Amino acid sequence: MKPPTDRGSLALGAYVYAVLAFIIVPLVIVIPMSFSQNDYLAFPPSGFTLKWYSEYFDSRQWRAATWLSVQVALLTALFASVIGTAATYAMIRGHSRLVTAFQIALIGPIIVPHIALAVGLYLFFQTIGLSGTIPGFVLAHTVLTLPFVVFTMAAALGKVDANLEAAAMSCGATRFQAFRLVTLPLVLPSLASSALFAFIISFDEPVVSFFLSGVRQKTLPRRMFEDIEQNLTPVIPAIATLLIMLSILILLGAHVLRSRSVTR
Amino acid sequence: MGLGARGRRIEGKTEGKRGSVNIVSARQSASGASIRISRLEKRFGAVSAVDGVDIDIAAGEFIALLGPSGSGKTTILMSVAGFEFPTSGTIHVDSEDLTYVPSNRRNLGMVFQNYTLFPHMSILDNVAFPLKMRGLRTAERHARAEAALATVRLAGYGHRRPNELSGGQQQRVALARAIVYQPRVLLMDEPLSALDKNLREDMQLEIKRLHAELGITVIFVTHDQSEALTMADRIAVLRDGKIQQIGPARQLYERPANLFTAGFIGEMNFVDVRVESVGDDVAVALPWGETWRLPATAAVEPAVAGEAAVLAVRPERLQLGVSPAGQVIAVTLSDVVYAGAALLLIGHLPDGTEMRARIPGASQLSSLVPGDVASFTIPTEAMLLYRGKRR
Amino acid sequence: MTEAGRSHFWHSDGRRLSGLSTLLLLLPFFTIIAFVFVYPILQLLVISILEPHPTLDNYARVVENPVHMRVLMRTLWTAMLVTALSVVLGFPVAYYMSRAKGTVAALVAVCVILPLWSSVLVRTAAWSFLFQRNGLINSALMSLGLTSQPFKLLYTQSAVVIAMTHVLLPFMILPIYGALRSIPNDYGRAAAVLGATRLRTFLEVILPLSLPGVVSGSLLVFLTALGFFITPALLGSPQEMMISTLVSKQIREVLDWPFAAALVGVLTVFVTLLAIIFSKMLRFDRLMGNAS
Ligand SMILES: Nc1ncnc2c1ncn2[C@@H]1O[C@H](COP(=O)(O)OP(=O)(O)OP(=O)(O)O)[C@@H](O)[C@H]1O
Ligand SMILES: [Mg+2]
Repeated sequence: MKPPTDRGSLALGAYVYAVLAFIIVPLVIVIPMSFSQNDYLAFPPSGFTLKWYSEYFDSRQWRAATWLSVQVALLTALFASVIGTAATYAMIRGHSRLVTAFQIALIGPIIVPHIALAVGLYLFFQTIGLSGTIPGFVLAHTVLTLPFVVFTMAAALGKVDANLEAAAMSCGATRFQAFRLVTLPLVLPSLASSALFAFIISFDEPVVSFFLSGVRQKTLPRRMFEDIEQNLTPVIPAIATLLIMLSILILLGAHVLRSRSVTR
Repeated sequence: MGLGARGRRIEGKTEGKRGSVNIVSARQSASGASIRISRLEKRFGAVSAVDGVDIDIAAGEFIALLGPSGSGKTTILMSVAGFEFPTSGTIHVDSEDLTYVPSNRRNLGMVFQNYTLFPHMSILDNVAFPLKMRGLRTAERHARAEAALATVRLAGYGHRRPNELSGGQQQRVALARAIVYQPRVLLMDEPLSALDKNLREDMQLEIKRLHAELGITVIFVTHDQSEALTMADRIAVLRDGKIQQIGPARQLYERPANLFTAGFIGEMNFVDVRVESVGDDVAVALPWGETWRLPATAAVEPAVAGEAAVLAVRPERLQLGVSPAGQVIAVTLSDVVYAGAALLLIGHLPDGTEMRARIPGASQLSSLVPGDVASFTIPTEAMLLYRGKRR
Repeated sequence: MTEAGRSHFWHSDGRRLSGLSTLLLLLPFFTIIAFVFVYPILQLLVISILEPHPTLDNYARVVENPVHMRVLMRTLWTAMLVTALSVVLGFPVAYYMSRAKGTVAALVAVCVILPLWSSVLVRTAAWSFLFQRNGLINSALMSLGLTSQPFKLLYTQSAVVIAMTHVLLPFMILPIYGALRSIPNDYGRAAAVLGATRLRTFLEVILPLSLPGVVSGSLLVFLTALGFFITPALLGSPQEMMISTLVSKQIREVLDWPFAAALVGVLTVFVTLLAIIFSKMLRFDRLMGNAS
């Protein structure tokens, strides 16, 4: 007698791989297209060329948009991870009656549609002159990335025994020294990975950027939006390929940090 | 091969429906089924988890699978339950080949290590679950589930949720759930290891009682040898996926079939020896130069002149003092431990081999102190001889 | 404040921070949330009822104009459709993922997580390539002989639904995966040995126990879908607007701020109410815990 073939599992497997193909194919399809010699985005791509990449790197406008996004994302990562970590630490180790307010402040930016925040900020920043400025973008993106920083840091800090700091202080350390010398090193990998995630969220953020961008100060997503909306040039697959590579790098970085982490 | 081949059951409401399982009549006294596991092999890639296992289990027998971690106990049980299909070999229950029958059509009872009560159902619904799967009406289901709860002395707990019961109670519910449809075989994978010691002993008795009452065939996996020795009719000792010995507790303890079982079950002293001659008796040379003549029956495995062998003796068989009934050894004591019922003496033979003795009711001997040299007699019939070297 | 409370405010007791340090550490967080999140949204809500003069006219315009009502209904319907599709597509993946081991598990996890952390614009752009007249889907259909004319796929509501499902699917898969992972394997085995078929094991044991994940994922997808902007803006048809694209049009082309504010108000209040009602079932931490 033979073990029966497990039709149920085979069917489930087939279905799952079909869905995974649906998820992943649209993402990877841009890679061959970015090397296509066709000037229009037909399928299948033909030939091999790097001209779309050089078009991207040679364009002053694309370079300016990228540079703006890089600056905004770096500052956002810095701001969000510092502010978010400080707040999380205070919530976990402090005497605070603000738990509910804190939770609402975290869930709000996730739940409230980005279009609502974008429109609100557009109006507000216009009146105070922050629209289209780096501080404006950074402030907006910090709000959007804080929840992710806090969730990551809460998980990490929650695993660090509060008695470790008490022990350090009983050895004569001040509270700040105890944090800096005991807790911080333990959560540093998580802090770094939350900064990575804040960077990529900001770098890829399209909606708020769309409304806050001015005529001259355009982030990369805003430039891409215009390009896709208006003429869909083959530069887009090249940029998309680069952005996917960036996401892979960020995820790899986070993965490495996670495997390094003591507080996994 | 259909389920119809098996007799003795009444049909549930959904008789004849594909996939439904039949249940044994409540009126007919349920009794155990015989199980035959033949040449069972299971490989996970390069690992041979089960390696040619044969076990014949009589109807109504209580058998324990005992072995160190990774010896393949769970894998055997999973194959019987139908969660793993073996690489080769067969499993028959009452001469019906179940090797590749899906578990939901095997009609076996099973108790898991961590209770596995469904957390979203009440206790009663948990116990009634297998009856529901068999298409019984709600009223009938509940009546039978109540009765099963009563058998495990949890009548009246039906409306509670699993997390409102203690570990021991949860495991009793799991037991009720496993027997409510009167399966003829009950499988248990370390069912008591999550309980603390006192509860464990209560549950051991509970399971023994149910086994006697229901006459069900039980396969019980454990790595606790005292549990296996006290509960099972027979014990199968496993190591690296192979059966080392199957037999009743007394046989396993008093005449282990090989060095592994000898060392695995209970405490045992081992001394490396060399076989000098084999005749009406066996002459062995001890490390310190003496030669002993042992009766031929001492050799559990055939002794061969000139080969290395191991002499084994249980600590409680050593007698303090010199007597003509056996061989005398001189032991330099290193520890004297008062252990309640017995005095545990630990020391070394002249060649350095460690030797332990348990002397019952010997607290008056507390004049012994570490450093003393004590003489012990090993009764001739207490000596067992195995081939090979001690590890 | 009590004596004890006062001293906690100034001094830390070893394990706990002093109230003062707690406050100082929380200050930047709450300041930025107050000024860059709460204030701008409140300001919009205020505009929606105070401009041009205190009135509910702006809201009346949303409800009374059939064109705008259709936009609301379309948005609602699209979000529900996307949610339903995500459950149907996502649940089996989550189930498979929760039972997979080793390389397969890693592969599936990468397929789910990589899209989550790649740009929405990239994913939307990819769909516009696929949906073009001479894109992959039409070329495939034509070379298979299924059609002689290319279909119009781009700038349709179907394109929006498909692409939004694609973008939001990870938000469904991860919470369900989290719930399924917390169900021990032995539950399924116990059900099977007790006589349940696979279908019944699934219906009676696995599904009820994974329901919190399904609810949490559905809420997340539904709420996000309601306000989704990029995908409808780039793939949808101007004749079939969603609420977000209508808002954008009001601001960028019509410059009707009070009306746009009312639209945003409707959307925000609706989403917030749902989030409050179901707040117990929203589990955001799960999303992050799995992603990182
Ligand atoms: N699904 C599996 N995949 C790979 N190897 C497995 C699998 N299941 C069991 N094994 C291997 O098979 C061997 C026997 O495992 P099994 O679980 O049967 O042991 P056991 O006797 O029940 O041990 P324990 O007392 O620890 O429960 C072990 O080496 C184990 O690592
Ligand atoms: Mg086991």
